[in-house]
Amino acid sequence: MSVLWAIFLREAGVAWGGGGGAAGPTAFFLAAITLAPLAIGPAPEILLVVAPGIMAFIALLAVLQSAERLFGDDLGDGTLDLYALTATSLPWLALSKTLGQAFATLFPLPIIATIGGMMYGLPPQPALILGLALLMAIPALSLIAGFAGALVAGVRRGGLLISLIATPMMIPVLIFASSAGRSALVGDERDVASLLLTAAVSLASIALFPFGIAAAIRSRLS
Amino acid sequence: MGDMQPMNIAPDQAKSLAQQAFEPVALRAFGLALSRGDTKLAQNLDLSLDPGEAILLTGHNGAGKTTLLRTLAGFVRPDAGRVEINGQPLSETAGEQVGWLGHTDGLKPAETVRQSLAFWMRVQGGGKISPLPTLRALDMDRWIDRPTGRLSRGQQRRIALARVILSNRPIWLLDEPAGPLDGQGRTRLAEQVQAHRSRGGSVIAATHQVLDWSDARLLNLGGTS
Repeated sequence: MSVLWAIFLREAGVAWGGGGGAAGPTAFFLAAITLAPLAIGPAPEILLVVAPGIMAFIALLAVLQSAERLFGDDLGDGTLDLYALTATSLPWLALSKTLGQAFATLFPLPIIATIGGMMYGLPPQPALILGLALLMAIPALSLIAGFAGALVAGVRRGGLLISLIATPMMIPVLIFASSAGRSALVGDERDVASLLLTAAVSLASIALFPFGIAAAIRSRLS
Repeated sequence: MGDMQPMNIAPDQAKSLAQQAFEPVALRAFGLALSRGDTKLAQNLDLSLDPGEAILLTGHNGAGKTTLLRTLAGFVRPDAGRVEINGQPLSETAGEQVGWLGHTDGLKPAETVRQSLAFWMRVQGGGKISPLPTLRALDMDRWIDRPTGRLSRGQQRRIALARVILSNRPIWLLDEPAGPLDGQGRTRLAEQVQAHRSRGGSVIAATHQVLDWSDARLLNLGGTS
């Protein structure tokens, strides 16, 4: 376990120190939630309705931002070779690395989504539930993005491929996370169910995607 | 956030690598067939590496030196044949027996030398060994707190070599280890290889340069080096 913890901390440190940490996704998120009303229109009743969906969708896009570098940098500088030659199993290693990077880069997003939701007119409770839903969605989103990033590591213009591969797999998380906020807004008791479904998708992603990432890494190394 | 735990092992408490002999570990490859795309690189290649031995892989660009090294490390699956370490499949043993130095150094620019070595010693299980004697032997101890991104290419290579040494693994697979090294660096490399072999370790290195490693076998994969 200490090795996995070391990998988690190291990847968080590398993402924070060398990759700008949370600055990129945070700036993107802030810019997007600021610009969206200019396109949708300033009517409060419209912003109130679209807020959960907008926040979840922007979070999805923010996660995709760093996916290309997650394994691409390691493939280029030889780190993946070294990881493959450790006694730690590659799926565990992939999980630690992906979650470490997600921890360093994505932790402000649920907070910003909560505040952004209230800026769009959401009452505090639905805004908090929306933020909680995004917090629960981050493991799934980051592992899906990591899987796509591992598949295209070292490929030119990999960002386009990552979007094409990852976005369809992110649809369930997007639906459940935004649904939690919407249900809380209208007083529908399905908000808890949506939260649990979001958590379930994340847990399933933790169980499955590390194996896919490991297989993709082995493929890229050969 | 990025700081790893500092290595707080005093040099006088550290076990000396030179005093630790390896358990005998032999690498064998049987009937390897290697290719890159449509190009056949090797057919029916047998290779044996016993404790204390060194092999220098030579050959022209594209002859398959790196592909062979990556096959011996388990990264590349051969078209035919198999690789074993002490009679065990490579997939079960490489993660504990092979020290790898690729053509890139595996360093993160923002990490200091100390952080980088501490991380890999923890992950690769090299044991509680102070890195200072090894860094001193490579003339790199004064740079221990410098970010690796602020080192020269040759210095980065020395740090990558230190990582291989500190992994404390018996089989070293080195891809162009002397590439960016100056004359003094090549001498230090030769000294470390000799020390490793004297402990019962073994080395295979792909190289274009003339390396003065005593008793090293040459394996030419085609053309002239």
